[in-house]
Amino acid sequence: MDDLKFYFMHFMPYPYLPADFANHDKWPSAWVDFSNSFYQPERGRELYERYIGEMVLADQLGYDGVVVNEHHNSPYSMMAACPLIAAAMVPQVKRAKICLWGVPINLELPNRLAEEYAILDVMSGGRVEVAIPLGTGMEYWANPINPATARERMREAIAVMLQAWTADGPTRFSGKYFNYRYLNPWPRPLQKPHPKVYLVGIGSPETIELAAELGLGYSVVFAPIEAQLKTFERLRELSAARGHAVKPSDTPIGVMAYVADTEAEAEREFKPHVGYFFENLLRTSPRFLAPPGYVGLEQFHARASSGHDKAHGHFDWNSATQHSRIIAGTPERVAETIAHWADEANSSTIVCHLHLGDMPHWKTVKNLTLFAEQVIPRLRGKVALRAGAVPEESVLPLGK
Amino acid sequence: MADKPNWQKVFKQEFHVVNGVKTAVLRAGHGDPLVFFHGGGIFHGFDFAVPWTEHFDVVIPYHPGFGDSGDIPDLGDMHDYVLHYLELFDQLGFPGKIRLVGFSMGGWMAAEFAMEHRRRVEKLVLIAPAGLRVQEHPGEDLFRIPPEQMPSYLVHDLNVILPHLPKEPDADFLAARYRESTTLARIMWEKPFSIRMQQWLFRINVPTLIVWGENDRILPVAQSQSWAKLIGGAVVKTFSKAGHLVLDESTTAVRAVSDFLT
Repeated sequence: MDDLKFYFMHFMPYPYLPADFANHDKWPSAWVDFSNSFYQPERGRELYERYIGEMVLADQLGYDGVVVNEHHNSPYSMMAACPLIAAAMVPQVKRAKICLWGVPINLELPNRLAEEYAILDVMSGGRVEVAIPLGTGMEYWANPINPATARERMREAIAVMLQAWTADGPTRFSGKYFNYRYLNPWPRPLQKPHPKVYLVGIGSPETIELAAELGLGYSVVFAPIEAQLKTFERLRELSAARGHAVKPSDTPIGVMAYVADTEAEAEREFKPHVGYFFENLLRTSPRFLAPPGYVGLEQFHARASSGHDKAHGHFDWNSATQHSRIIAGTPERVAETIAHWADEANSSTIVCHLHLGDMPHWKTVKNLTLFAEQVIPRLRGKVALRAGAVPEESVLPLGK
Repeated sequence: MADKPNWQKVFKQEFHVVNGVKTAVLRAGHGDPLVFFHGGGIFHGFDFAVPWTEHFDVVIPYHPGFGDSGDIPDLGDMHDYVLHYLELFDQLGFPGKIRLVGFSMGGWMAAEFAMEHRRRVEKLVLIAPAGLRVQEHPGEDLFRIPPEQMPSYLVHDLNVILPHLPKEPDADFLAARYRESTTLARIMWEKPFSIRMQQWLFRINVPTLIVWGENDRILPVAQSQSWAKLIGGAVVKTFSKAGHLVLDESTTAVRAVSDFLT
């Protein structure tokens, strides 16, 4: 049975926004066209050193993994090329998994991405895990890739990457978007057949289908808990129909958590930074979220009818803590809550957002430490998850 | 919108299946066929085309990806539309030459059609056509314009299109525009022009009229000179107090088109 695993995920934001950023009319978006003239490299340098240090601390405190991801044209993330951040961590993060969740595969040539991840896997001694996002709508405004064909292209790019990792080269690949005469990347990953791969997204039907078809895991982000649970249910159904078992480790869940001696202290210390994250760093426009063709017409219509997109850039603590996995409290309470979330999602990988927004270093260190020393021990070995439905041939009694 | 707009009363909609793609065609009038290729948005309707029906058999197909037409599954560039229309014209029994009028993205489409199949075109009218890369007078990139600003980019006088816009947020309206922009993205997300037109527009050797609104905020009127330079003998007519939707804003422009085609 899978025991719970705790990954520390960092968004590495650039938290120095204009003083009047609360003015939504003046600053409608922190993405795509929010000017990079506000970026000061000197501050960037300090932040990289600090943030990578926090990842190293997580490794030393016993977290099972550290997670980076990638976004473009935004202070939301300073990891526009996340394999570089991962490479910087390899010599310092000595035992935890190094998770890249990850490069939107459409933004790179798939053979090159296969190479970059293989290099990291070899350098780290087989500690790489990969999640493949389609990328937010915003990435398609920032990069010259067609959003209208993005899903089809992603499907093909994943096929290239898996072929590059699993088949002895040189092989050929003849697709609509990619034609390889000699697919033969050096090096190949250390883990066999390849590092663990998930898809990651907001739960669009096309991506769930693809994950089920390929037998990959799936992580849902930025969706209310109920929607995430439905997505996992759907993934399990579709995967079973294709003979794939979904293990508890295939469906990571994200948790924003803050630990303190009292609930009041935890909430007081956490709230402003969660608010900063949702109100400022996530602020974007419906147009940027859905470039042409990025979502299906039905889904677009549903979003336009529900006002779904207006949720970006607004934050209400009570509503957020009700619908999302956000918890601030004593170690007991945080542990109990996470146990419940893991159980209801049947997920063994807990992706912990223990730094958010403009949280200062001291709070991050305190939170990382308390969580590691007082929450994780309350959970390891304590949550019984259900094994995935295993395809029949693998449960035949021995000797048959 | 209590009353049906005029064009909906005049035109009849028929359906054809072109290589498996349902294609809606508006048709009215008698005479020689005049085919109109619409632009990248059809919310403003076709009232301007009604006067043409007095002189011509006016044929307005909805491009695949627009209106009541279906989608071309692998739509990738303007060439897919050229092939689609070669096939449709055969089905409609237009063996001879047609009068071809194209507006904006439809102007780009008409220019590519005429450049490749000049023997099937009697006369050509390009109305504020897109698709040419004019470095001295670059056009606005459509995809950069936020939807709430789009109306003021399209016309000189906002009153001209207000009746065509919903008064309250309208999911159906937004979804129809999203489908259109998805179709446009398949054609021109990577680049909003066709580099081959610079090389090959010279092949258009049929009488050509180029029409432009002098207050066009999307494609500057100065681009008309570049088209005229590339298409030998083309005549340019520009119209004052008219923006990109020049036919909606200037009855003189509408008349200039039919005068030229008669």
